[in-house]
Amino acid sequence: MILAATGPEIAFWGFAVVAGIAGFFVVGSRNVVHAALYLVGVLGSVGAIYIVLGAEFVGWVQILIYVGAIVVLLLFGIMLTKAPIGGVALDNNQRPVAFIVAATTFGGLTWIIWRTFGGTRIRLSPTRTAQIGNSLFTHFVLPFEAVSVLLLAALVGAIVLARRD
Amino acid sequence: MPTTLDLHAVLPEIILSGTLLAVLVVDLFLRDERKLWNSVIAMAGVLGSFWATLTLIGDHRATFNGMFVVDSFALLFKLMFLAVAALVILISANYLDEGVRSTQGEFYFLLLSSFLGMLLMASSRDFLMLFVALELVSAPGFLVAGFKKRDARSNEAAVKFFLFGVLSTAVMLFGMSLIYGVTKSTNLVAVGQALAHPAARSEPLIVASILFIVAGFGFKVSAVPFHFWAPDTYEGSPVPVAAFLSVASKAAGFAGLLQLMFVAFPHQSNVWAPGFAIMAVATMTLGNIVALAQTNIVRLLAYSSIAQAGYMLLPFAVVGGAGPAVMRQAFAASLTYILIYSFMNLGAFAVVIVVNRKRSSNLIADYDGLMSREPGLTTAMLFFLLSLAGIPPLAGFWAKFFVFSAAINGNAAWLAAVMVLNSVIGLYYYLSIGARMVLRPAEDQSRIGVPFALAAAIILLVIIVVAVGVFPDFFNHFSPRSTLVAL
Amino acid sequence: MSYYWQYGTLGALTAVGGAFVVIAFLGNRLMRPRKPRVEKATTYECGMDPVGEGWSNTHIRYYLFAFLFVIFDVESVFLFPWAVQLEKLRPQGTVLVEMIVFIGILAIGLLYAWKKKVLEWVK
Repeated sequence: MILAATGPEIAFWGFAVVAGIAGFFVVGSRNVVHAALYLVGVLGSVGAIYIVLGAEFVGWVQILIYVGAIVVLLLFGIMLTKAPIGGVALDNNQRPVAFIVAATTFGGLTWIIWRTFGGTRIRLSPTRTAQIGNSLFTHFVLPFEAVSVLLLAALVGAIVLARRD
Repeated sequence: MPTTLDLHAVLPEIILSGTLLAVLVVDLFLRDERKLWNSVIAMAGVLGSFWATLTLIGDHRATFNGMFVVDSFALLFKLMFLAVAALVILISANYLDEGVRSTQGEFYFLLLSSFLGMLLMASSRDFLMLFVALELVSAPGFLVAGFKKRDARSNEAAVKFFLFGVLSTAVMLFGMSLIYGVTKSTNLVAVGQALAHPAARSEPLIVASILFIVAGFGFKVSAVPFHFWAPDTYEGSPVPVAAFLSVASKAAGFAGLLQLMFVAFPHQSNVWAPGFAIMAVATMTLGNIVALAQTNIVRLLAYSSIAQAGYMLLPFAVVGGAGPAVMRQAFAASLTYILIYSFMNLGAFAVVIVVNRKRSSNLIADYDGLMSREPGLTTAMLFFLLSLAGIPPLAGFWAKFFVFSAAINGNAAWLAAVMVLNSVIGLYYYLSIGARMVLRPAEDQSRIGVPFALAAAIILLVIIVVAVGVFPDFFNHFSPRSTLVAL
Repeated sequence: MSYYWQYGTLGALTAVGGAFVVIAFLGNRLMRPRKPRVEKATTYECGMDPVGEGWSNTHIRYYLFAFLFVIFDVESVFLFPWAVQLEKLRPQGTVLVEMIVFIGILAIGLLYAWKKKVLEWVK
């Protein structure tokens, strides 16, 4: 996929490389807290990629929700479980197999996607928040309301499971 | 641009949403001893929603920009989901009141949220709506599987279910996004038309996307190789939750699969039908063979429901490049099997819940000599087991028969032979439980005592199983009329 | 292209800010002496020898508050596009009711959390 201008293209590749390296360290790090912090790098880079591709609202939502709320939740979860840190604490001996499977999946997917979309050129045009609001409340109302029940179910379920009875 | 908001079409969902909110709010103000009232409110709401669905019969409506469609397929599944919901509430009422009494209200709330998702799933003809509905079905499932907070097995069940669930959902969503990238639409009908183009028929990206989407739904229906969560989750979670997951959750997964394969990907059937053949054979065989070695009744029923899912997947395997007549017959066969299976499996689990009240270990050995302790209950269990095995004149026989004839008509006689072989293996372990119940002496001769709600549910299910077995045409009347296969 | 100019400026500003921190710490690292000793690497515990593992007893209420924050953060995210488009969408009553239903359902969740004493910080 080739972007329309050079500046955004360089920015895209830069953020993609950062996200890839950070992602590699998320799964490769032996310290759980370090892994959570590398996750911030991954999620932030993905948010930046959204912004580069013109999805401004989605990019900021990604940073606001994922980096701002979900990573915090993750860190509290790690603190609650008092995860053992250092050495071979959270490791198993299937890393080589996992690496082979992951590399094969990555290679296969890249080949398949490149085959179909390799020659496509897109013209970047930033999406305004107003457009999202427009379609969300006219075309996509039903998933929107279903999501509210889903959020409520998650809230109630989490409180039931986490409360000290 | 204003869209048409057809509120009558979503009336069942609105009533059910109102009920679940009412249950949650009323539960906040009830004392522990009175929390059984939650089940009454939940039941009232389910029955109200059932009535609302009945008022929609005969209509064909599309609303919310074509995302939400009410046709005979959707109505059949909605009526089934609501009937199953009423039965699940009946069979879980006593278990909850005696077990996790203080969190009963939340349990019914989560259960009803899941059923709301199932109602939405039956009507969703859009990838986005399917995904949101699937999440709404699964998320409360993860939570209720871990409801016995102090029990390590329940925690394990919930964690395994959750991890597998979110992984397969993520993979499925990736597949859906790739299809969107190719067809530029999320509506199933539009996708079907876009993929009818000859160049798109066997493009690797489309094949990979279909594989990812099937993986997501394969997890939901516990098909091999996505079944690994099922035995541990069923065994660890509270028994009514195992009943709910094995019946309702599976049926919801099949509702989604039927819509996807026959509306969005009918022109790729040459590609996915062989895949489904492999999946169906593996699922049937693994489920039946591993069930032979089980000593825990819930685990055995888990493997048995994995095998039953294999029988339900079989009709998908016979439509490779077939004409509309074969497709319609296969569609109807799978649909009928899902409906009949739901009721007989729910019956078996209801009996397990009754026995669980006395012995919480759920071992098959607990069922020795049950005939001398509770003859009525044992007779009912025999009906359910023989129906699951496919013995005439019970409902399960006709379910297998319709799948069998769909396979023969679809020129897949080898699949039919595999199914018969697997049914014989299944017969062995179903009958061995039956034999233990009748022939072996009981260790503990005391009566168990069947509570009223459970007795009502079991009697109702026995009537359904026997009635459908004796009058199959009544049931079979509805399935072919609920087809999604385009003319 | 003003979109990319704006974000390019933001990106450059972030890069400069990051570079500032990196250069400061890197310069420090290069210039200071490094003589690592076992005692220097132990956890500081007000001058006394550290006892026990590094984790402290985290209370569940932190997790519950973070969780509630996630849920209501997602709700607020949906409020943004709604607020931007509220004046222009037709029919306005329907759009308003849609959001009221959404907020109402999550308000019931807040009521539930309140009644279950999840919002209390000190017991």
